[in-house]
Amino acid sequence: MSTINPPASQSNSQNTRTLSILVENKFGVLSRITGLFSARAYNIESLTVARTSDPSLSRITMVVRCEPLLAQQILRQVEKLPDTVEAVDLTESNCVERELVLVRVKAPEEKRTTLLTEAEIFRARVVTATPDNYVFEVTGDSGKVEAFLDVVRPYGIDEMVRTGKVALHRNLSAKNGDTEPA
Amino acid sequence: MKQERKYEMTAPQEQKSHPLAGRRMTGAEMIIQVLAEEGVDTVFGYTGGAILPTYDAIFLYNADRQDRRHEQIQLIVPANEQGAGFMAAGYARASGKVGVFIVTSGPGATNSLTPIRDCMADSVPVVLICGQVARAAIGTDAFQEAPVFNFMSPCAKHVFLVEEPEELEATVRTAFAIARSGRPGPVVIDVPKDVQNWEGVFRGEGKLHFRGYEQRMLELSRSRLSEESCGAFFELLARSERPLICAGGGIISGDAAGQLSEFAKRFEIPVVTTLMGIGSMDTTDELSLHMLGMHGMAYANYAVMDCDFLITLGARFDDRVAGKVQEFAPKAKMLAHIDIDAAEIGKVKTVTWSHVGPAREALEDLMRHGEGFRKDFSAWLEHVRDLKRQHARNYNRETSTIQPHQVLECLSGIVKGEAIVTTGVGQHQMWAAQYLDIRHPRSLLTSGSMATMGFGLPAAIGAQLAFPDRLVIDVDGDGSMRMNLGELETVTTYNLPVKVLVLNNRGDGMVRQWQKLYFGNRFSGSDKSLRQKDFVKTAEADGFRFARRLTDKSRLEETLEEFIAFGGPAFLEVMIDPEACVYPMVGPGMGYKEMITGDFIVGRNPVDDLSMGAPPSDSF
Ligand SMILES: Cc1ncc(C[n+]2csc(CCOP(=O)(O)OP(=O)(O)O)c2C)c(N)n1
Ligand SMILES: [Mg+2]
Repeated sequence: MSTINPPASQSNSQNTRTLSILVENKFGVLSRITGLFSARAYNIESLTVARTSDPSLSRITMVVRCEPLLAQQILRQVEKLPDTVEAVDLTESNCVERELVLVRVKAPEEKRTTLLTEAEIFRARVVTATPDNYVFEVTGDSGKVEAFLDVVRPYGIDEMVRTGKVALHRNLSAKNGDTEPA
Repeated sequence: MKQERKYEMTAPQEQKSHPLAGRRMTGAEMIIQVLAEEGVDTVFGYTGGAILPTYDAIFLYNADRQDRRHEQIQLIVPANEQGAGFMAAGYARASGKVGVFIVTSGPGATNSLTPIRDCMADSVPVVLICGQVARAAIGTDAFQEAPVFNFMSPCAKHVFLVEEPEELEATVRTAFAIARSGRPGPVVIDVPKDVQNWEGVFRGEGKLHFRGYEQRMLELSRSRLSEESCGAFFELLARSERPLICAGGGIISGDAAGQLSEFAKRFEIPVVTTLMGIGSMDTTDELSLHMLGMHGMAYANYAVMDCDFLITLGARFDDRVAGKVQEFAPKAKMLAHIDIDAAEIGKVKTVTWSHVGPAREALEDLMRHGEGFRKDFSAWLEHVRDLKRQHARNYNRETSTIQPHQVLECLSGIVKGEAIVTTGVGQHQMWAAQYLDIRHPRSLLTSGSMATMGFGLPAAIGAQLAFPDRLVIDVDGDGSMRMNLGELETVTTYNLPVKVLVLNNRGDGMVRQWQKLYFGNRFSGSDKSLRQKDFVKTAEADGFRFARRLTDKSRLEETLEEFIAFGGPAFLEVMIDPEACVYPMVGPGMGYKEMITGDFIVGRNPVDDLSMGAPPSDSF
């Protein structure tokens, strides 16, 4: 991936926090962690979980709308759980973040050329097409993804699915299992 | 018995292989074997379908040791699993060792939820072993199936569901390590019946790994105060004219009571404690200002208002201590905080100086560093002595009815701070906290954070089993006593010399007190004056040979003396003034300056009693 992100805070509204939590890859861990947020009635805006390069660990990336101090407090509580290896707030840190979106856009014959030209600006790829639609795939930070969606919205969005944000610190994180160079 | 290790996950291992290593055993036998190796001499629990194999394994384990009774694991059967949980908790709170209880699936597990949450809220190390339906049946709404993992998870320190029988042995060992390490807490192991029945090879060693947790525990156990940090602390102390220590339950669970009183005496700093911290400092000590908070001593709360440096040790500014956070310790320009749990630092109050680590070592480091430190706090100490004199606890001594305070004052005079006291929840709990001298740590066992009515009796049973030769007294309320009344029979079944003292005010006194203050004397649901229960007959029916009711004030002392001296289970109901209220009181969500002290304790800035009006609507 070649595009470099602006500092994360630019693309974030002030109270949106990007949290990265490294955990033992065991059942029940995710619900325990999300439970710490739901117990305080905080909605999780997005959530991704997957194994790391060490298959016995998983990384949870979570976007939550809450005050920085409260995020800190919840992270300290997350860090008390035996299954947690590390829990950090990446919002203001030097990290890269990406989200992938698949979006089916109405693409009648006469608008296809302009649509493709605009998509090109965002390096969005057409992954499949029908006589009426294009399905685009676009990857980027929240700012880019939102801007792309703004551009295609007037054409008519049929349906879309987003992965939610993943984020990675640029430097080697202290305790994590992702030992490949950034 | 094995030494319990507090902070580290891994105990030092003799490298010899285990004498039973390589032996074939059932899962149930492995559970009992590991319990024995963890130093468990008593388990509490109630059997049932899904845990039958493990109960059978206890039976066989003990049958094998008929002639070596001290090696047996004694099984105590309560009337209800909640009782088993509080017995395990009482055992753990009194001894500092991990308490164990074993229950069946479904209702056995759900009945155990309350004590698990109670242990979590008060940081008490227990291990609960739950039977579960066989693995193949999990998730099918099988007979007596309950989603133990799901509902216990947010309530416990950790929960295991044993899916791989090969991991059972290591899981049980790990559960103990997690329960007792760092900030202690309850651990639940859910064991499907087929895993208990499985047969495999016992290894005699091994634990599950939790990389992050182990690393954090290792760091905690090594966490000492740097010279620099000690220096910064003493700079604050040097700048202070009115320092005050606030000690919490962490001093007790961290075995740091000795260090606390040494520290307080060395630097001549007075000490208030939280409810959970009672016993961390001998309450009869000159420097002790006893309990602070909602129903704290007036002088303790005044000292908090006056201090300029608050040194908080193993306490967490709960809302019963700091109801109005912004007004708590308003003159304390400096705040130091030592806690084993990083999540507590700065959670409620912003601190000037803090340290995360075991309190015991931290206090030792500070004392070593401060060897040459001298500062004269005598003016402050004089002020504090005045507060103690002028705002001493007091009550109406003139009534013909028996006042609860008097009962406890008299009891305190008899036992002189040497008993283990448990309590229910309510007014009697607060009076016990206020009027009993508590001279040693682990001597006042009370449900502080959850405040679970029904805790007192089973907790007393657990404490008595941990210390068969000590005097154990349950100071209970009539409402709280009803909650786990079935356990009266457990006391006599095992012939435990527990002393059960019920302060009967014919109802839920604490609730009535709030209804008087905030709900216009509408005693919705809290008046029990029409109830028919004869507690004395109940106790007699359950086999108490000492079962009495006291109504005559003039016979208070002699009755209490006979009650305490009785060589066996004893039950005493004292009919107390139902109108008695707990004072002082800092209303919920209020600051200490709004504390009311009632008619008999001298207040500093008199606020008209009962004129407090409604509490802020969002407080409780
Ligand atoms: C299990 C449980 N239910 C309800 C409460 C709420 N509550 C707190 S104190 C109290 C009254 C306790 O009555 P009693 O045990 O007689 O004590 P008293 O206040 O009369 O001394 C109640 C209902 C509680 N703490 N625990
Ligand atoms: Mg009562």
